[in-house]
Amino acid sequence: MQNNHALMTPVAITAYSALSACGAGNRALYQSLANNRSALTSLSLFNIPFPAYVGEIKQPLMSIREQLADYNCRNAQVALTALNDAEGGVRTAVEAAKAKYGAHRIGVIIGTSTSGLYETEAAYGVLLDTGNMPDDFHFVTEHAYQATGRFMQLELGLTGVCFAISTACSSGAKAIAAGQRLINAGICDAVLVGGVDTLCRLTLRGFRSLELVASQPCTPMDRNRQGISIGEAAGLMLLEKCHKDNADRMKVLAVGESTDAHHMSTPHPEGEGAALAMRHALQLAGLQAGAVDYLNLHATATKINDHIESRAVFSVFGDSVPCSGTKGMTGHTLGAAGALETIIGLLALQYQFIPGTQGLQILDDDCQCQVIKAPLSKKNIQIAMSNSFGFGGNNASVIVAL
Amino acid sequence: MIKQLFIKSYAICCPDMTLLAPFHLSGSDIDKSLMPAAMRRRTSMTTRMAVTAAKLACAQAKADSQQLASVFASLGGEIQVTDALCRLLPDDNELLSPTQFHNSVHNTTTGYWGILNKCQAPSTAIAAADDTFAMGLIEVFSQLQQGSGERLLVCYDELWPQYLAPPIGQTAFACAWVLSTDAEQAIGAMTLPQISENTGQSFSPEWLKLTEAAPAAAVIPLLMALQQQTPGEVPLNIKAPIWTSRISTREEINSGQ
Repeated sequence: MQNNHALMTPVAITAYSALSACGAGNRALYQSLANNRSALTSLSLFNIPFPAYVGEIKQPLMSIREQLADYNCRNAQVALTALNDAEGGVRTAVEAAKAKYGAHRIGVIIGTSTSGLYETEAAYGVLLDTGNMPDDFHFVTEHAYQATGRFMQLELGLTGVCFAISTACSSGAKAIAAGQRLINAGICDAVLVGGVDTLCRLTLRGFRSLELVASQPCTPMDRNRQGISIGEAAGLMLLEKCHKDNADRMKVLAVGESTDAHHMSTPHPEGEGAALAMRHALQLAGLQAGAVDYLNLHATATKINDHIESRAVFSVFGDSVPCSGTKGMTGHTLGAAGALETIIGLLALQYQFIPGTQGLQILDDDCQCQVIKAPLSKKNIQIAMSNSFGFGGNNASVIVAL
Repeated sequence: MIKQLFIKSYAICCPDMTLLAPFHLSGSDIDKSLMPAAMRRRTSMTTRMAVTAAKLACAQAKADSQQLASVFASLGGEIQVTDALCRLLPDDNELLSPTQFHNSVHNTTTGYWGILNKCQAPSTAIAAADDTFAMGLIEVFSQLQQGSGERLLVCYDELWPQYLAPPIGQTAFACAWVLSTDAEQAIGAMTLPQISENTGQSFSPEWLKLTEAAPAAAVIPLLMALQQQTPGEVPLNIKAPIWTSRISTREEINSGQ
């Protein structure tokens, strides 16, 4: 009885917004998906000593206001820009929730893998030159993991539960899980959840050290795939307890979680942990595998990850569920990926289509699951799943429903 | 909604044990025998401290660490690894170590904990600056809302370079708990953390000083209440707004209060 498997109560997604290399807002992301258009470009934000394509946000970011200047960093700016996206309406929805439930009843749970590390890297340059960190270096409010979430809490005038989840590439998915639980536990009435991660030298050079960075735009599930293209993004959602006023909104049904217990950076060879997360999600949602209409794969485009994931997916779903990997469009947005790709699942439900797998030319012979190359319209898509698997063997699968 | 969680066990890992004397608490140094040598060589001080505390807490609670889902809560996580990598980045010619890179993530400890215990149960890694312990407890409460079960909660931070956020990281401290929905063999119980009116003005200077330097020492009032079996409200962080929880003693639990 260590883990309970009672059904989770669904929560309503009353607003959501994505900001990525594909642009600001859900419509921009939908347009990229509908056209199967890659937003990967060569890196311009900073220099690295090798060629790499990245999913870089090129549009201007909003500035952090003076009172919150200690939180100013690219990660917070990306979060703020997504929060204020008028089309997604996350800020408006939070403000309505605040009026309805009270500032103390709204939580903020943000997933990130590197938070404000981009600015810290520059500060280390100064430290090594001068022996001191620059005056405007604020470790706790910029670099520490909770910084972006706390910034949003202060920006929105919220006073409830606030923490970061940082489990590498499953962070954004696990933030959704934590938000759903806080609502179901009655601890919060609404929770701003999501993932925010921005490009930095450490992740690019770190993945390069693992020989996992592709020199060309990544090609998930392709026979000739060469590795990852890193990206940056914010994916934000406001979750609220279900009631009649939000009965028409899409819902989070459940998030399944597991640990590989195998290796820090290589997935379990049989895909046990990945399969466990998908099964756990189905179990918590009270669904059979056949109920899932679309699966957004983690599909990072490394040799081993895609191979193992396809095995795990086949073991749970056979070849019956249409799957795609969308990192050829957005890049692998790390701690934001779980939230961004859950939003891609929401767009599939909203627009009744299956996104394609940008970059995929020839499906790997090993891949037994049904991978969709080019986007296709499909009727009656009700339920989508999104997989996210991170370092430390940390896995999460999110199920959303129309 | 469950009203309280039962505390099955706790264990402290604090390499500088003299720090605990003012609080009449005792802890362990890092126990090297708890990890295979290959893992010990690959892991940081923070992971070894957290694993020591977690192993001791599980042993005391007779909890099955292969089945136990866990929450690892730390302000900074793998700071020493991240610091070492950041020092290399300004030079384009420096090659990063792949092991150091995957060991720099915040959930490094949860990853090694899973491998060590062959535990495939969900495990999460959270951070909330000064509120990290309080938020870790809230995460455990929310995980245990539906049904019954136990969770491992580990709160920890290692020694940090003092140019990052002094005095944070001047001392290192880890504490682990086994928390349960079941009262059997409990040494105490605690209610869901709430924001209180407490302004923190009455807090002991020793506790404030230690917690400013070792954020995980926020657990000390709770540990003292359990150690001395004194019921009442305890603070879970040092900076306003102050989160508090009401502690029940073993005697109160046994008498059904």
